Amino acid sequence: MKQLKLKFLLSSLLVLTILGSCKKDRIEDGSGTEPTAERQGIYVLSQGGINLNNSTLSYFDYDNRAFTFDQFNKVNNRGLGDTGNDVQVYGSKMYIVVNVSSTIEVVNARTAVSIKKIDVKNGTTARQPRSIVFDKNKAFISCFDGTVAVMDTASLTIDKYITVGRNPEGMAIANGKLYVANSGGLGWPNNYDKTVSVIDLTTLTETKKITVVDNPGSVVADQYGDVYVLSVGNYTTINASMAIIDSKTDVVKSQKDFTSGSIAISGDYAYITKWDGTVQLFNVKTELLEKENFISDGTSITSPYGVAVDDISGEVFVTDAKNYSTNGEVFCFDKTGTLRYRINVGISPSKVVFINK
Amino acid sequence: MKTKSGVRKFFKRLTYSVSLLLMFLSSESFAQADTSRTLKEVKVSTSSIPQVQTVNPSQQVNADDFKRYNAFNVADAIKNFSGVSIKDYGGIGGIKTVSVRSLGANHTGVLYDGVQLTDAQNGQIDLGTINLDNVESITLFNGTSEDICQPARSFASSSILMIKTIWPRFESQKPTHLSLNYKTGSFGLINPSFVWQQRISKQWSFSMANNWQKANGRYKYKVDGDGSDTLATRNNASLESLQSNASLFWSRNDSNRFHFRINYYRADRGLPGAVVYYNPTSNQHLWNRDLFLQSGYEKQWDNGFHLLLNAKYAKNYIRYLDPDFLNEAGELNQKYTQTEIYQSAALSYALSKNWEISYSSDVTWNALKTNLVNYDYPERFTYLNVLASRFSWNKYTFQGNLLNTHITEQIQTGSAAPSKTVWSPALSATYKPSEHSPFLIRAFYKDIFRNPTFNDLYYTRLGNRTLKPELAKQVNLGITYSKAYTHLLNYLTITADAYYNHVKDKIIAIPNKDLFTWTMLNLGKVEIKGLDLGIKTELPLSSSLQGSISGNYTYQEAIDITDPSSSVYLNQIPYTPEHTAAVNAGIHNNRFSLYYNQIVSSSRYFLRENLPENYVPGFTVSDASASYQFFAGGNAINFSTELNNIFNNSYAFIRSFPMPGRSVRFSFQIKI
Repeated sequence: MKQLKLKFLLSSLLVLTILGSCKKDRIEDGSGTEPTAERQGIYVLSQGGINLNNSTLSYFDYDNRAFTFDQFNKVNNRGLGDTGNDVQVYGSKMYIVVNVSSTIEVVNARTAVSIKKIDVKNGTTARQPRSIVFDKNKAFISCFDGTVAVMDTASLTIDKYITVGRNPEGMAIANGKLYVANSGGLGWPNNYDKTVSVIDLTTLTETKKITVVDNPGSVVADQYGDVYVLSVGNYTTINASMAIIDSKTDVVKSQKDFTSGSIAISGDYAYITKWDGTVQLFNVKTELLEKENFISDGTSITSPYGVAVDDISGEVFVTDAKNYSTNGEVFCFDKTGTLRYRINVGISPSKVVFINK
Repeated sequence: MKTKSGVRKFFKRLTYSVSLLLMFLSSESFAQADTSRTLKEVKVSTSSIPQVQTVNPSQQVNADDFKRYNAFNVADAIKNFSGVSIKDYGGIGGIKTVSVRSLGANHTGVLYDGVQLTDAQNGQIDLGTINLDNVESITLFNGTSEDICQPARSFASSSILMIKTIWPRFESQKPTHLSLNYKTGSFGLINPSFVWQQRISKQWSFSMANNWQKANGRYKYKVDGDGSDTLATRNNASLESLQSNASLFWSRNDSNRFHFRINYYRADRGLPGAVVYYNPTSNQHLWNRDLFLQSGYEKQWDNGFHLLLNAKYAKNYIRYLDPDFLNEAGELNQKYTQTEIYQSAALSYALSKNWEISYSSDVTWNALKTNLVNYDYPERFTYLNVLASRFSWNKYTFQGNLLNTHITEQIQTGSAAPSKTVWSPALSATYKPSEHSPFLIRAFYKDIFRNPTFNDLYYTRLGNRTLKPELAKQVNLGITYSKAYTHLLNYLTITADAYYNHVKDKIIAIPNKDLFTWTMLNLGKVEIKGLDLGIKTELPLSSSLQGSISGNYTYQEAIDITDPSSSVYLNQIPYTPEHTAAVNAGIHNNRFSLYYNQIVSSSRYFLRENLPENYVPGFTVSDASASYQFFAGGNAINFSTELNNIFNNSYAFIRSFPMPGRSVRFSFQIKI
């Protein structure tokens, strides 16, 4: 026991020494981290506070374990703006969706150097983009004004806005179709939307609206053609719920009460956060909850906000928004649910993406 | 209908509360005022030496001083005060609130002619909306004011900002006073106003003041951090407002007088909102319609009794519109109506030449209605009872009071917040080494609280009905020096006060479950250590020319001591600079005056974590004004020019709310 502690101490010291000039206090428990061969590092998008223009894109490099609090600002000499809501890597580019600033920042995925800043506005009025997904040479961006923007990934111009339901949030692609959760979140407290729009990816038109439980948010697809839609409910009388839609028939085959936050799927497993600090492990093949808590070493997370799984290493990253007004943290767990390290990042960290070498 | 029943309830309860006090007063004393008694002498100070040797620290600006500070509203007029942090959201329509000694704006009581301006919904008063046309003086007291014959409410805040309006005084040959004003300048400002005072009879007079302003509010500013190198323009910042005031005065003499006032305020303004990077558009709008009726009666008897009665009815309406809100209606359209009925009675009695006791009793009824879904429609009764005493003995003066607050609430359905009873003591003492000594040593202790606002308690989902009052303890130790001179200087005053404040059960919003479910909790603890310094002098430069210099300095350490395991433990609370200083210097003679004012603030943090990414750099702002006055046909005519932010510094009090750069204002006034 004592030896273990000493070993831990020594390795931590070593890490600290290596970190040298970078912000040492940002990373804790860095022992035993072996970078995955294919990965260069991770980006963490933090939303910041509303009206504070302090959304940040932190970068953690696996090779030299260097941490940069705001890589975007560092290389572009300007801030991301207000409330970065989603970030995805597609090809060599990375797309950052900034909600209140109403922009899509397209950057070089390796360096975060800006390629283009795209305004997502209707005249001068913000459309408030929320999430982004990709299909072939198109990016689809859900916008809070009730549309999905269709952007060409080569020209980086928005060609079309498809009208969907109110305040669309998460999206997923399955069977050549785009599934969009219409949250109606701004109908708070009693007038939520409760539909999922189905968009045909060849005609780029909405073909159907599937009814689920009020206030749907996250949407993911598994490898079996099922689409998982997590609804928040109305916080009082309507419970949070999970709908499983069969993308062949576009029918809800299961709708059950399910308390959830964020969701990420890797292989047969969905990792779903819950407000009490746990990460539920759901088997998408058997469609059963396998573990109440994937975290096996008792690590406590105050306010789990986002979750991401590295398909290659099996590592699970959970972001902790703490009290949504002070800096948050990212926890990296190995595939057994044991904490590997934690990084101090910006306010309300919500997304983690992986960068290849 | 609701209001009517509220009014009935109010008066029903009122009869219990002040009946005790009314027993003191015979109906006779009300009906007839005794004219045979000699007029109570009003002390007129021959020197213009400012009164700083008060039991509790106090700072004052008079109408004559407003131009020194380029003051356009009450917030501007007190910007140099020690211990005051102004939260200014920028521009002509931007909200301006004051926090005194880091306790937060909710702890500052703003009294308008002795009666508090209140906002039961969020507890903060926008001092930018109170113009200075009819204001005689503004005084800030830490703790309590000098006078113990006061409405109970004036004992019920951590600090008191007293705004005193002009009580018309007429010379025998001139029954009409008319002051016509016109201001114009940057931000597209057009601001005509007038004050009309009329004597009706020997005892009756009235005054009327109207102030109308219109401005587009536009100004250039520099956006920090968005990579732009050009200036942006603040849009949707227009303001159109009208403040109308009609007052009726009756006075037999200075110790027997009555006034009645109607005040109406109407404002329509654009809300430019936070400067969001890459998305500068805002179309939000705010409408205010405020009406209050206020009445006061004061009588001092030669037998040592002093009576003060005040009553008020106020109705404040706010409408907020966001036409870009992305809900089904395509807009957010919120309406709030607050009603207040207030009655206060205070009676003091001088037991001897150096011992005075007083009792004050206030009852207030507040109600809030909104068009929000599932709203609780709260109503509140607040009963305040204070016993106070002031005693001088030899070189000492002691002043103390004990305040009892009882609050009951009800809501339309369900159970309201439980009723609360709080006892709050305060004690002050001064020591003067000898009668003619220029020194005075003072100390005070005050235990007070702020009650949770309707928003804290009942805001849909967020509110928490079990909230306790937020408690603030203040301790102050100070020394003052005040002396009039016959040569070199006219006078010199110096004040130094060190203080320690402790806030517990601070009301803060805490996320519960997720970002969308927050709860208000009594969680915060703050410890504040500070130092306020002030110096003021006036010196004759020639036979007609006077020079004046004043300086203020504030040191504040206001740290979060809520939770030792938290990342914000021992961090300075947001928007609290450690050092602030203000200097004002000028020269004036009978016709001409020239003033320069500078404010310096050290850096702050805009969030609770004192991290580099939350850092707001310090700033300095310089203003200057010049005015010229002459008489033509018995009318005083005044021209003045004010230059604000002379060096065009880019700064902000609140992150994302930039303040204007250099601006100018021209004023013309004629007094007939």
